[in-house]
Amino acid sequence: MAREAPPALVEQEFILNALKEDIRLDGRGVDQFRPLNITFGEEYGHVKLQLGKTSLVVRISAEVTKPRDDRPFDGLFNIAMELSAMGSPAWENGRSTDYETHVTHVLDRVVRHSNALDTESLCILKGVSCWSIRADVHVLDYDGNLTDAACIAVMTGLQHFRRPDAVVRDGQVIVYGVEERVPVALNITHKPLSVSFCTFNEGHNILVDATRKEEQAAEGEMVIGINNGGEVCFVSKFSGASLDPISVVEKTDVALLKVKELNTQLDKVLQADLAKRAKLGMADESRAANDR
Amino acid sequence: MASTSNEAPAVPPSLSLPPSQFARLQPHAYLLAHLSPPAATNQPSIRANGREPLQFRTTSANCGSLTHTNGSAVVRIGDTAAVCGVRAELLHTDDIASWSVARTSSASTNKRQRLAELGEDVTEEDNEDEDDQDRAHIEDLSLLVPNLSLSTGCAPGYLPGAPPSTTAQSISHEILSLLHSSRLVKADDLRIWYQPPNLGPEDEQMDVDEGAGKKAETEEQKPREIKAYWVLYIDIMIISLAGNPFDAAWASVVAALRDTKLPNAWWDVDNETVLCSDDVSEAHKLTLRGLPVASSFCVFEADAAAGWRAKPIPNAQQQKKDGKGRWILADPDGYEDNLAHERVSIVVDKEKNGKTVILKMEKVGGWTIDTEDLRRLVDVSSKRWDEMKQIFDQC
Amino acid sequence: MVGPTASLSNLHRADGSASYKCPVTGYDVLGAVNAPIELPARKDALKPEDATIEVFVKPGKATAGVGERYVERILRTMLEKVILGREKGLPRRGVVITLAAVGGEAAERGDSYITIIPALLHASLLALISAAVPLSMTFTTTLLGVTRSGQIIRDPSPAAAKAVASLHVLSFSSKGHLLLSESQGRFDFETWELVRQQAASICRAVATTGSDGDTDMGEGADGAHVDAFVRETVEDSLHRDYTWKLESA
Repeated sequence: MAREAPPALVEQEFILNALKEDIRLDGRGVDQFRPLNITFGEEYGHVKLQLGKTSLVVRISAEVTKPRDDRPFDGLFNIAMELSAMGSPAWENGRSTDYETHVTHVLDRVVRHSNALDTESLCILKGVSCWSIRADVHVLDYDGNLTDAACIAVMTGLQHFRRPDAVVRDGQVIVYGVEERVPVALNITHKPLSVSFCTFNEGHNILVDATRKEEQAAEGEMVIGINNGGEVCFVSKFSGASLDPISVVEKTDVALLKVKELNTQLDKVLQADLAKRAKLGMADESRAANDR
Repeated sequence: MASTSNEAPAVPPSLSLPPSQFARLQPHAYLLAHLSPPAATNQPSIRANGREPLQFRTTSANCGSLTHTNGSAVVRIGDTAAVCGVRAELLHTDDIASWSVARTSSASTNKRQRLAELGEDVTEEDNEDEDDQDRAHIEDLSLLVPNLSLSTGCAPGYLPGAPPSTTAQSISHEILSLLHSSRLVKADDLRIWYQPPNLGPEDEQMDVDEGAGKKAETEEQKPREIKAYWVLYIDIMIISLAGNPFDAAWASVVAALRDTKLPNAWWDVDNETVLCSDDVSEAHKLTLRGLPVASSFCVFEADAAAGWRAKPIPNAQQQKKDGKGRWILADPDGYEDNLAHERVSIVVDKEKNGKTVILKMEKVGGWTIDTEDLRRLVDVSSKRWDEMKQIFDQC
Repeated sequence: MVGPTASLSNLHRADGSASYKCPVTGYDVLGAVNAPIELPARKDALKPEDATIEVFVKPGKATAGVGERYVERILRTMLEKVILGREKGLPRRGVVITLAAVGGEAAERGDSYITIIPALLHASLLALISAAVPLSMTFTTTLLGVTRSGQIIRDPSPAAAKAVASLHVLSFSSKGHLLLSESQGRFDFETWELVRQQAASICRAVATTGSDGDTDMGEGADGAHVDAFVRETVEDSLHRDYTWKLESA
């Protein structure tokens, strides 16, 4: 089974007809995301995200490596996503699908190539050592709009992650353990997110955050990557039916609005988690003091 | 199925099939018929390939057959043949990203310091601590890189152009993990040291007062530095696969490492590089710790498929009582490999006092083998060790 | 000691799923099972009268390598015997088990992967139960390390596992068979026997077998026995699933 089982024709028709009356199956508005729920694991950079029934885990990790010869001042940053049969029975383990390539490509463009993570700040010693940051995306449940969900989770993970502190002394790199020095946050230059749109009924209906059923009934897809400042860093309209240029511009505004909304929510969650950690850390410290 | 197969060897001539066809059509019954001869005939049970259940195939080893490697070996166990070539490449410490990194956290100790300390008190003593450090050292820097390939045509199922099969990858890992856990290779054999000369006033004084100078030298001697490492690329190719690839692959690795000679190498200060001598007499052999030998077994069950629904699986105690209808076969060939599910693989070594040490023991894929059988198999494996030692010593 | 935690059926798309977390070793594994499922026709893989079992292990913070293939092989050979692949509906189909390490440290190249096997096996067993795949027996697994002084420690952490003289993973079926034994390091057979005894007592609660063959675990099980833990997890999830029925009764 290399692809998702398509929905029945009647079901598809039902979705389309309902949309003609501006009704979505789950009662959401056209520009409304499904409820977003983000939780953090024990370690830094461990994010569990649920967007409706789509859910995934992102883990960020860092290690010291040698920088690339042609870019001695740059650290490395990679996003690894492999779709496994866990997310959907239609995906086969160990065999990449077109969809996987597509989502990885969007993630790469929106997060990596837009320089959201300042790779130069990852350099420790020119040409000798640098940090290599790796984001692993595990898709647990797939119910549409994987692109946006993964993008949000990776960005949250990067903001949440703390790498160990490292200093250079006499040409030797010293990496301090987490218990010795407060680990450092990554240098995030801006916070771009992707917003995917699905088009229906010859471009009359354009929805954000489509569910899997809606995605299957859609005639075309467009992805816009944009940051809080309204700077577009990625636009892709590559498959399906054609789209009127005006709606591309209109939807860019919608995307900006959504990204601002999402980023505000992310900030809130991140702050809350940070506060919780600070409290826990203090409790730990006082306990340790008592022990002594 | 059992009843029909009992008659199999004595089928009436009218319905007779040549044994080779019977073997292909009913492999399970064919092997079963061999292993359980009719009680009346008083024949011992024997495998379809003529071996006794716990008999290994004829094994031969040949070292140094590949000229462009630092060490090589060909091991044949019956029709399974493995070629192993060891190639040593230099790895400069400057090229190791984590080399100049010190970690202060308590969990992972400072790599460089640890190595420096190690360097100072490298003695002939083979104590356990050093073993441990050796292991960490080889593991951290990946100084041993085994890779196994099941080459095209080694068995009918292996077609050209296919990616490395899961079996091949799995055995590669087993070999790597066993190389690490058995600590076969000493890390010190792979290090290339550099002793910086003493510069400064002491040197001049040495001529004047030799005795004191020498004393000063030993005291003020700069610590030796590791400048480079040998990385051993251990490539194993199974050129013919007739069951039991692991034993053959491991034997070829051990034989090849015993054959491996590393050229004399030193750090040249002027050129800032490592130079090697091409003089064979200066090359040194690796000093290996012990001689681990692998022995694999499989379990053939009489009723592997028949009556699975009718007969409940007995619990452990009941099973011990009847304990029939299954045979442990040593060194399975390809035919037996396909019919058996439960497998045991044991790697043993013998200490100088003749005591058997187990380095790895694996039992998976069934529920018939337990303590008593394993004890017996460990004994068989240690006998196999004696056999293999002779073979290794001859090559 | 903090016991492991587990839950069943936490994913929507997979046919069955389970998560298993062991706080001592730090492993947190999520398992998903799809069964029965049509496999793309591979001429070598499909057996005419048995199910094809596929196991896929996804490391948490790295790309899968040869080590994963090795654990997959162990898991597959073991589970092939436990899953009743000849049961109706399963032959010529696939049972696909996907396991992802969503927590805990990643094993490095050449590390002994056997420390993660208990977590993987428990996650796959619970996921198989959640997917209602017919099994001939359940099983429980434990990890034991033997220190240089001969002391046996239970569930050594990855750091402690590096320092021990030998590591052992043993798995016992619900009927008392030794299903898996994977040992590494330097040890002799007597040590292994001691390890086996201890492992058996950890894995299996002192079960009193009733005349009907049913195992009576007793409510007072302290949770230190792994099989009592597995049983409780499944019981809890069944209880939740049948709340509607229990309440109406």
